[in-house]
Amino acid sequence: MRPPLVRGRDGMIAGVCAGLAVHLGIGAGWIRLGMILLTLASGAGVVLYGWLWIFVPTTADRADLDRRSGPASFMRDAGTAAVAPPPGRQAAGRDTGATATAPGRDTGTAATAPATAPGRDTGATAPGPPAPGPPPSGEPESWGERARRAGRREVLFGAGLLIMAAVLLAQVLGVQVDWAFLVPVSVVVTGAALAWSQLDDARRARLVSQARAGRPGWGVRLAAGIVLVVAGVLVALSSSTSLSLTMTTLIAVVAVLAGVGLVLAPWGLKFWRDLETERASRVREAERAEIAAHLHDSVLQTLALIQNRADSETDVLRLARAQERELRRWLFADPSRDPGSLSERLRATAGEIEDLYGHPISVVAVGDAALGPAEDALSQAAREAVLNAAKHADVAVSVYLEAGPDSIDVFVRDRGRGFDPDQVPADRAGIRESIHSRMLRYGGSSELRTGPGGTEVHLRLPRTGAGQSGASRSAGSGKDAG
Amino acid sequence: MTHEPTDPAGDARASVVIVDDHGIFRSGLRATLGATIDVLGEASTVEEAESVIRATGPDVVLLDVHLPGGRGGGGAEVILRCVAFGARSRFLALSVSDAAEDVVAVIRAGARGYVTKTISGPDITAAVHRVASGDAVFSPRLAGFVLDAFGTAAVAVDDELDRLSARELEVMRLIARGYTYRETAKELFISIKTVETHVSAVLRKLQLSSRHELTRWASERRLL
Repeated sequence: MRPPLVRGRDGMIAGVCAGLAVHLGIGAGWIRLGMILLTLASGAGVVLYGWLWIFVPTTADRADLDRRSGPASFMRDAGTAAVAPPPGRQAAGRDTGATATAPGRDTGTAATAPATAPGRDTGATAPGPPAPGPPPSGEPESWGERARRAGRREVLFGAGLLIMAAVLLAQVLGVQVDWAFLVPVSVVVTGAALAWSQLDDARRARLVSQARAGRPGWGVRLAAGIVLVVAGVLVALSSSTSLSLTMTTLIAVVAVLAGVGLVLAPWGLKFWRDLETERASRVREAERAEIAAHLHDSVLQTLALIQNRADSETDVLRLARAQERELRRWLFADPSRDPGSLSERLRATAGEIEDLYGHPISVVAVGDAALGPAEDALSQAAREAVLNAAKHADVAVSVYLEAGPDSIDVFVRDRGRGFDPDQVPADRAGIRESIHSRMLRYGGSSELRTGPGGTEVHLRLPRTGAGQSGASRSAGSGKDAG
Repeated sequence: MTHEPTDPAGDARASVVIVDDHGIFRSGLRATLGATIDVLGEASTVEEAESVIRATGPDVVLLDVHLPGGRGGGGAEVILRCVAFGARSRFLALSVSDAAEDVVAVIRAGARGYVTKTISGPDITAAVHRVASGDAVFSPRLAGFVLDAFGTAAVAVDDELDRLSARELEVMRLIARGYTYRETAKELFISIKTVETHVSAVLRKLQLSSRHELTRWASERRLL
């Protein structure tokens, strides 16, 4: 399978030749030579190059296209990946189209490498800081990339100087050179190239981030390109006719352009707005679809289950609680909350036991702590306490976590009938082993208070100096999973 | 939570208006409220709530945190509007949301308490009587938030708004642990009245404090 025809970012000018080289499987140098030969044939190469520049997508465009076209594109990506060079090489690639770019980059670099050396030499005649970086294209550039780009600029600049020197030499040797034609044309070409390269960058920037498409640098460069083109055309015209006639023509042209612009502006604006509206509505549609899918998978299923089990009160209660918890997590999940923290662990445990026994278990957390071995033991002990409460007390359970600077305290409280600790059979290891000994092993303590009003287990874990860094985050973690 | 009324005010009556945008919930709540409570009216939007409260003047307004209408301010906006026309009603916030910002918005607007919608009939009845008599109703969750916002170590000298006194801290901790006012009083060897005083003081601090955590936290969520 042939790799798709895309323009890599590492071509000499716009990546057309490098892209063609990858697509056709020929060395980029040969393609470039062919382009130059074609150019000598009354400029056909330049026209072809410009045409390809406009119509061949960049790797970034391509990646965007693929992303939109769903799972099928995955297979296509896998196909291109097979052509890609070994991973070590690929690691250098960092833009979105890494897989597709990599081959292009390889040939591109290979072709540039020899050219760069003389380029550096010519660069010496025009020293100074490396060309001010290319227009920031919205992605951070690696140093290697930047250096290569700068090298390319110098090569282009050097090539320009060489061509000029050749022309001057030809003039010295007696060939008639029409400067009045050559200068404006080269100005026009430079301006067009500048404007077109902005088109590229603007598109890429939009892909990366919509907000950045309106960067001022982009507009300035585009304007500079247009000014160059207009000035070049004017000079070319005025060289053949009188100045006053040129001025008259200019005024007429500007007037006509302004008129046309006035007529077309509302249309353009309308098109732009329509585009924006469509894009926004597509985003909304996607969001709606996601919410609908989630509600269908969770709430609707649970409601159906509840209807089936309407005669069993405990089942209905359990289902409702579990669904409520799940929905809450989905709606109010706070991404800043660390899933590996003690409070999150306690919440998860509470939810699990709630599902098991059907009694509501509410967790209130003040402060939080990272999970170390000691905190882990604490959460295990707390789990055991909650389990006991849910199992024996048969009522709602409250869990309170307070992570202070000196200690972490967990209270597990129920309003059951209470029990007599002395009458717990010796073979029941729950409280003694799972709770008390576990806390002791980590320098903590546990305390049991029970009576007719209910039972409360207090677990306390002193904080050592090391564990305090992530301690007691204040506001924001006081949410409750219950 | 089982918040019993302050004193065995068996024959005390309280009038309420229920403000919630869900008809099912309103009728369910009406059915679970005890016999000592007279429901004067219901409302489902901010504007409706304002006019019903103005017309009936209930002792307590049971107020959902999330309400349609108005300027999108929900329950907090109802409170501010009623304060503006000088209503003497007290407000008890009801919420399914476990997002603290929702709760604190209504508390800072002037609600006397906050309970979850899963509260049982006797508990909500007790809470209404408590609010009607001018006390504050704190759920464990709200107490947890207060401790989080004010810090568990800070102890106020005098009447500082930004910190809790040692006693207030103890009371908040016990409530966060799931203790009722009565159990809290027993635990601390003080009277229920004293517990209520402490809770009211904490509520006042929560409403008035300019403590930077609260302010930052509220402004982050555009509550101020």
